[in-house]
Amino acid sequence: MAEAGTWWALPAAPAMLLVFAVLAVAADAALDARNAGRRITAHTAVRPLLAVPRALLAQPRRLPAPDRLLWRAGVITVPVAAVLATLVIPFGNRVVADLSVGVVWFNAMEVLTWAGLWLAGWGPNAAFSLVGGYRFLALGLAYELPLMFALISAATGAESLRVTDIVGAQHGLWYAVWMPFAFVLYLAGVLAFSFLGPFAYPLGRDVADGVLGETSGVDRLLLQAGRWLWLAAGAAMAVPLFLGGGAGPGLPAWAWSLVKTLLVLAVLVWTLRRLPMLRADRYVELAWVVLLPLSVLQALVPALVSLTR
Amino acid sequence: MGLTAALTRAAAARPRVLLVTTPGGTPVRLAAEKELRSRDWPSASTPAGADLMLVAGPDCSRLGPALERLWQDMPRPRVRVRAVTADEVASVLEAGRARLATPEGDRGGADRTAGEHGHGEPGKHDAESVRADHAKDDRGFEGGAHARHHDDGPEASGHGGEHAGHGGTGHGDGDDDHARHGHDGHGHTGHGHGHGGMEMPGGLAMAEPGEDRDGLTLDRLHVPLGPFLADWPAGLTLRVVLQGDVVQRADLDDPPAGGPADPFWSRPWLRATTGEPVCVGEAARRRAAAHLDSLGRLLSVAGWPAEAVTARRLRDDLLEEAPASAILPRAERFTRRVGRSRTLYWLTRGVGLLSAADARAASVTGPAVRAAGGDVPARYRQWLTEVMDAVRQLDATAPLNPVAQESPRGRWDAERPPSAALVKLLPRLLVGAELGAARLVVASLDPDPDELTACRLEVARG
Repeated sequence: MAEAGTWWALPAAPAMLLVFAVLAVAADAALDARNAGRRITAHTAVRPLLAVPRALLAQPRRLPAPDRLLWRAGVITVPVAAVLATLVIPFGNRVVADLSVGVVWFNAMEVLTWAGLWLAGWGPNAAFSLVGGYRFLALGLAYELPLMFALISAATGAESLRVTDIVGAQHGLWYAVWMPFAFVLYLAGVLAFSFLGPFAYPLGRDVADGVLGETSGVDRLLLQAGRWLWLAAGAAMAVPLFLGGGAGPGLPAWAWSLVKTLLVLAVLVWTLRRLPMLRADRYVELAWVVLLPLSVLQALVPALVSLTR
Repeated sequence: MGLTAALTRAAAARPRVLLVTTPGGTPVRLAAEKELRSRDWPSASTPAGADLMLVAGPDCSRLGPALERLWQDMPRPRVRVRAVTADEVASVLEAGRARLATPEGDRGGADRTAGEHGHGEPGKHDAESVRADHAKDDRGFEGGAHARHHDDGPEASGHGGEHAGHGGTGHGDGDDDHARHGHDGHGHTGHGHGHGGMEMPGGLAMAEPGEDRDGLTLDRLHVPLGPFLADWPAGLTLRVVLQGDVVQRADLDDPPAGGPADPFWSRPWLRATTGEPVCVGEAARRRAAAHLDSLGRLLSVAGWPAEAVTARRLRDDLLEEAPASAILPRAERFTRRVGRSRTLYWLTRGVGLLSAADARAASVTGPAVRAAGGDVPARYRQWLTEVMDAVRQLDATAPLNPVAQESPRGRWDAERPPSAALVKLLPRLLVGAELGAARLVVASLDPDPDELTACRLEVARG
C-alpha cells in the first residue's frame, strides 16, 4: 500500500518533523503563558524560537579539560538520530525508506540517544553534567524494556517488522484499541526518549539543568531541538504503529496521518505539565516490578492471537 | 553586519536571566521573579544558559568572588545588572535588555561587564579590569564565536580554580580554596587517563578514590552547593563530597555576615517584638506567602515547574494585598492538586526523614516539627495546610502576639532564629542521600539565611 520514496520525500520528511516539533514548542509556550497569567497571542507561541538567533550569536563554552570530541558527538547525535528515525515512518501512503526491519531501525535510532545524551553529559568534565548523563542511563534502564515490548506487541500483531505491514494489518481495528497498555507504554516511552516533562530527569533543575547545564550556543540549541524533534518523531510513529496509519473515512491518507499525529502530539504536550519529574530510583522499581511484567503479558496477547489464527 | 544586528535584536527580545540573590535580597528577588514571569523571560539555572545576570539585593563583599566567577562563566553576548531595591527591578531589566540588543561593536570596550551602570560604579568592572584580573582567562574575548578553536592546553589550568563551583554546581563557591575543589570536582579522571608522573589533562589533578557506603571504591568529588544555586536558599553554602551521586559528607560554611539584612519573611514578627502594633491578618498573609515561596522552590526542585509557577503567582498576589476572596479558591485548587498528587507523594516519600522527637531535640519549631511522618511529603503537606489556615485569617484584625503565633519557620526568637536550627540539621540529613534527594531535603526545610544574618548582626551589636 505504501509507495516507495519519491525524490522529494527525503527532504520532506525532516522538514515535516521540524514543523511538528515547532508546533509542539508553540503549544507548550501557549500553555506556559496561560499558567503564568500572560495573555496568549500568536506572538507568545513563537517566542521560544528566539532561542535560535540567540544560539547563533552565543559564544561556545570553554571549560577546563573538556572531552570536546565526545561532547560534540553526543550533542549532534541526539537530533540526528531523531531525523534518521523518521525515515521509516509512513506519512499517508508515503515513506522514505520502507525497510523490512523498520521497527528495529526506529528503536536503534532511539537507543542512539542513550549514547548521545551520556556523551553530552560526560564531555564538559563537570560534576552536575556527568550526574545528568548517568541519570539518563538509569532512566533508560527503566523505560527501555517496556518500550521495546510495546513495539514488539505491535510487530507481533502484524507478524512483521516492516512499519507499512503493521499499518496494513490494522484494517478495521487499531492496535491502540486491543493493545491499550502497549499504546500507553509507548507514549510514556516517547516522553522518556525525548527527556521532556516528567522524564526531564537528566536535565533536572535539581542538578542545575544537568546535561544541558554547561552547554551554550549551538550545542544547547541542538540538544533542545533534539528533545522536541524526538517528541515529534515519537508522535508520528505512534500513528502507523497503533492508530491505523493513514486509514480513515472521507479524507485522503495524508490528511488522516496529519490529524492523528497532531492529536498524539497534543496529548503528549498536555501531559508534560501534569506530572512532576520522575526520579529514576523510584521509576525503576515501578518499571521492573509492574510495567515490565504487564508489557510482557501485553505482548503475549497478539502472539496468542497470531498462533490461533 | 546588518544580519548580526538583526539577530542580536531578535535574541535580546527574550533574554534568559540568571537571577542571583544576595543575602537580604528577598524582596528584590520576589519583584524580579514576578517581573520575569510577566515578561516571559526564562530564568536560567546556570551561567552557561544565561544572557543577562541580575544581581538582586544589597552588596555582599564576601560573595564578590563567587559572583565574579559566575559572570566570567557566562558566554558572550552578556550583560550584568544589579537591583538593590525592589522598585528598580523593572527599569534595570529594561536597561539590560537594551544593552543586549546593541550589537557588540557599538557597545565599546566596557560593554557587557559594565552592567552596574547607574549605581555609581562606572567602569569598575570594565572589560580591561576583568582581563587583568583573569589574565589566564582569555575565553575568546576577541570574536566570541571562535573560542572553540582556542587551544585548551597549559593555559587552561587557569580555569581550574576559575571554574571550581560552576562545574559542580553551576554556581560558584565563596572562598579561596576553590581551586582544590575545582580540581577534585572536575577531575573525574580516574577513568584511565594518565596517573602518576604523567601530565594531567588540562593541568587538573585527579579525583582520589575512596571507599563508599556500598564497599565500592569510587572517586570522591568535592562539590560546593550554593551560595548562588538556582532554587536554593540565597547565600547558604554546603560543601558536599560526592561519590557517584551520593552525598558522603556535607559541611556547612559560615553564613556570609553581609550587609544589614532584615529577614523579609519574619518582618511582622520582628516589628511586633519591638512593640509596633501588627495585626494577625498581616502576619498570616506573610506566613502564607512565605510557605508558598518555599513550596514554589520545592516544586521547582522536584521538577514540577507548572505548579511552581502557580505557587509563585499565589505568593505574589498575596504580597500585593489581594483580598482573601480572590485568593481562597485558587489556593484551594492548588492545595488539592499538589497535596493529593499521588505521583509527587510516591516520588518523595521517605526522603529526608526527621522524626518529631529529633526535630525537637535540635530545637526546631514550626512546620518541620508539626509535619507528622517527618519526610518530604509530610512537610509540604504541612505547608499546604498552614497556607490554607493562614489564608482564612487574612482579615483578622487582632494584634499579633509574636510569641504565641509562630513566624513562618518557627517561633520567632531574635537570639536563636528558627532557621538556625534548620540549617544545623542539614549536614546530618544530607549524608547518604542521592544528590536529587539532598536538594529535596534542603528545599523541604527551606531555611532562610536572611534570619541568620540578622542574628549575627544583633550578636555583633550586643
